[in-house]
Amino acid sequence: MTDARADQYACTESVLDITPDAAVVSNLGVASYVLASVSDSERARNFYQWGSMGVTTAVGLGLAISTDEPVTVLDGDGSLLMSLGTLTTVARYDPDNLTVVVWANDVYGTTGGQSLQASQTDFAGIAENSGLDAVTVRNTEAFADAYRDATESASVTVIVCHVDPVDPDARPPFDFPYIARRARDSLSTDTM
Amino acid sequence: MTWSKDAAEALADAGVDLIAYLPDSKMDALIDEVVDDSRFETVLVSREEEAIGVLVGAWVGGDRGALLCQSSGLANTFNAIGSLSVPARVPFLGAVTRRGNLGEFNIAQVPAGYNMDKLLDDVGVRNSVVTDSEDLRETVALAGETAFSTQSPYVVLLEQTVTGRKSEATE
Ligand SMILES: Cc1ncc(C[n+]2csc(CCOP(=O)(O)OP(=O)(O)O)c2C)c(N)n1
Ligand SMILES: [Mg+2]
Repeated sequence: MTDARADQYACTESVLDITPDAAVVSNLGVASYVLASVSDSERARNFYQWGSMGVTTAVGLGLAISTDEPVTVLDGDGSLLMSLGTLTTVARYDPDNLTVVVWANDVYGTTGGQSLQASQTDFAGIAENSGLDAVTVRNTEAFADAYRDATESASVTVIVCHVDPVDPDARPPFDFPYIARRARDSLSTDTM
Repeated sequence: MTWSKDAAEALADAGVDLIAYLPDSKMDALIDEVVDDSRFETVLVSREEEAIGVLVGAWVGGDRGALLCQSSGLANTFNAIGSLSVPARVPFLGAVTRRGNLGEFNIAQVPAGYNMDKLLDDVGVRNSVVTDSEDLRETVALAGETAFSTQSPYVVLLEQTVTGRKSEATE
């Protein structure tokens, strides 16, 4: 049963159901396209990324330090692999409002599904050995349970969710400054 | 006042809340100032590119961010600056110890360090070079003012004539 895989759309919907007020920082490409597929287009707290592969979790860390609202990162396995040191940084500050989800589809999905060639890499093990709580899940129900627990936990949990690769049609707004400003306006009191 | 005290006051003048940093021997004095200063939240990163992410997140959360690192570290941030800070119009204030110019002994610091002002121009980040410690506080404070009001990053490059020079070349 170890090759069972969760559905990224259903899991992303669970994120929005379980934490409707969370600021969600989504990795460039597929993670953002799926979030755009399942979100109301007016959802201001989706901070979609259009670039900066490898920096998605760091954006979530800075946001979690600066707001009291819940913050969820939806990262990609390729993006996380590019910046494993970020897990050490996250563990160092361990903001209680941050949850990190990694969509482990084993591919660079956005650029055509090329293999990560990292089947021997245990992302949850790396997160744990960086000082974080971590869990690996392989189906949608297990994801929802793990996500609920993670958001209730006082320390950061990394949820490595094995998913089938998907190729959504939906796109976030192309107006990148608008995405950032809209998220900021919905979260911040200092609007300067 | 020492250059590092001047710089810490300038960061406070600019309304900076959160400082992301990675050490450098010259920057160490300023990092020591800000880490112990309750006006600032400080985040040590493992790679400078992460700092850009942290500062962007902080801005979206309502805070003003600054980056302290060496010019080689700033070179590590270029994709994040070019594909996030600049196109999403998210500001940060950079105070960067510039290597590779007058007094440099290490050739590995030259290509990115000496050319850092031009590299920043090309990626669309305004910048100033401070060579005289007399100018430091005002330059950093004004850089912060324009970064946060125009919502675009601004980097101040601090020459070794401000931060002090390494003496390896003569040893
Ligand atoms: C620094 C950088 N390298 C490469 C790319 C090209 N690229 C864009 S998305 C992507 C794949 C991202 O993979 P992953 O994080 O696993 O997300 P997925 O697409 O699988 O959801 C790549 C390689 C890029 N945009 N930036
Ligand atoms: Mg992937």
